[in-house]
Amino acid sequence: MKKIVLFAALFSIINCQLSICQAQQLTGRDIVQKVKNRPDGDTRYNELELTLMKKNGTTRQRKITMWAVDEGKDTKKIMFFTYPGDVKGTGFLTYDYDQVGKEDDKWLYLPAMKKTRRISGSSSKTDYFMGTDFTYDDMGSRNVDEDTHKLLREEMKDGHKCWVVESVPVDKREIYSRKVSWIRQDCLTAIYVEYYDKLNKLHRVLTISNVKEVQGFWTVHKMEMKNVQTEHSTIITVKNPKYNIKVDKNLFTVAKLEKGL
Amino acid sequence: MKRILLVALLGCLIPRPVTAQDEDSLRVGVKGFLDTYHALRTEEPYDWMSSRTRVRGEVTLEKGDAGAFVSANLMYNATLKDLTGFQLREAYGWWSHGHWDLRAGRQIIVWGVADGLRLTDIISPMDYTEFLAQDYDDIRIPVGAMRLRYSRNKWCLEAVAVPVPSFFELPTDTTNPWSVGPIPIEVEPQHKLGNMEYGGRLSFFLSGVDFSFSAFRTWNKMPVLCSGMGIYRPMTMLGADISVPVGQFVIRGEAAEYLDEAQTFMGAGEVPTANSTNVLVGLDWYAGNDWSLSVQYAHKYVAWDGQRNTGLATFRVSKELLNNTLTLQDFAYIDVTNGGTYNRLSADYAINDQLHAQMGYDWFHGDKGSFAIYKHNSEVWVKLKYSF
Repeated sequence: MKKIVLFAALFSIINCQLSICQAQQLTGRDIVQKVKNRPDGDTRYNELELTLMKKNGTTRQRKITMWAVDEGKDTKKIMFFTYPGDVKGTGFLTYDYDQVGKEDDKWLYLPAMKKTRRISGSSSKTDYFMGTDFTYDDMGSRNVDEDTHKLLREEMKDGHKCWVVESVPVDKREIYSRKVSWIRQDCLTAIYVEYYDKLNKLHRVLTISNVKEVQGFWTVHKMEMKNVQTEHSTIITVKNPKYNIKVDKNLFTVAKLEKGL
Repeated sequence: MKRILLVALLGCLIPRPVTAQDEDSLRVGVKGFLDTYHALRTEEPYDWMSSRTRVRGEVTLEKGDAGAFVSANLMYNATLKDLTGFQLREAYGWWSHGHWDLRAGRQIIVWGVADGLRLTDIISPMDYTEFLAQDYDDIRIPVGAMRLRYSRNKWCLEAVAVPVPSFFELPTDTTNPWSVGPIPIEVEPQHKLGNMEYGGRLSFFLSGVDFSFSAFRTWNKMPVLCSGMGIYRPMTMLGADISVPVGQFVIRGEAAEYLDEAQTFMGAGEVPTANSTNVLVGLDWYAGNDWSLSVQYAHKYVAWDGQRNTGLATFRVSKELLNNTLTLQDFAYIDVTNGGTYNRLSADYAINDQLHAQMGYDWFHGDKGSFAIYKHNSEVWVKLKYSF
């Protein structure tokens, strides 16, 4: 009996040490891959409210309705602007490819022109999205290997146990030289990200709050990106998120883009 | 009838949100704008080239697979009084189910990939009442048409029939500063089955490339001057276009063969027709940092009268500033054959979500070609636009 207890104790110590070992062996890339692999359903629906705030407090708003569907590792998205009036009806269709080096396919529909334009799949990634403080890249899904990742440490942030991961872009044309992310271990979601510019000065800070489960999927409901150099900021509020909804594949076509909501 | 439409339009101008999201219930969408535009000639006699204020209302009704769209203007035009009043723009109904989409009524149909140049994009004609010094969507004239589309993920087949063709609006009234002169234009073709326009387009949307093929039985919608008279004759267009994104660039190409196109002729006798070949190459550069540049060159070759070659180019550069609240843009048409230019330099500032203030300078230059008659029409302009 004593032997059994001793063996059990020994086994649990070894097991515990193995777990610690595994945790220690978790690399920055592993963590970012875990975040990317976090379940988010095969299809998604969101209504986004974007509030742009100047340093002097004046605000502007954008509202977007969007659908997304995963096809393997790739994602198709269609989004329509619903506010303000001058951009209402403007639509974006994107096919985001996970494969490194493969350019995304993008189309833009301008209702005033009654015309769909094929737009560059790569260049706009580093531009800011519709005057917000988020780049197109921030709004999309980035391949894990577009950055090299390093686990810096583990620490508590806002009461949550987090991994702190530094990511350095492989492509030196990116607008940031590195970013440091605080990733919640319980829900595999970044809750705080610092972006540094080419001179390694803090440029933008992303703060994510209100992370809740919806249909069993961890969902970010509010994120604020602040440009600490200009003091311009953007708050994105996610409304009415839905997962695994029935979506017609024809939704993600140029014909639907032109037909509108 | 006009009164009913007027009341309907005014009713539509009261902003209301899209109601009920249930697909089986009636959904109503309303948008529009109020704008005021004023342009002053920058040389003698420093007169007003344009002064207009208008309300645009656009209403979308949708229930199940069917819907309707109406777009109309109420305008006060101080320089061209005849244009004051109600203008119906688009008014069409649609039915959409599965892969099929049918649209019938007064509508603007746009084909091709060219920007501001027409090669395969010849269904909806142009309104040259103020030449090109209007917004692009004001320049396009809706046509009464039926359009049937069959769409799959990667391709789309479209058939279009226009029972009664529409033609360019040309200002021949010499009191209009944009007048092309007192040119007599023959009566438009009779409204009969044999004069209808019809055709189709097959488009592909693939990874890394879009392309399409088109064919259209139509008319020369811009009257051709023949023995001192503007005339219309039937012709056939066979076309193709392509868009290829390459890194920060998008390369665009378009080609159209016009079979039996009527030709300008100063002599007497029958209107001469000849085939013409129209080719366009364009390059868009999304340079990053909110810069974008675009250049296009279109060449026309007519196999008639000693073989005519003409070239027209466009150039566009734009930059967004102040978190996209300020857009600076320069757009130019360059008549390569005759050395003429129309250049629009503009600034657009978003005062808030609804209100935009715009100003600009239109510069015309040329002693020959299509811009020569406007070489004294250079102007500065301001515009205020409230969108709802």
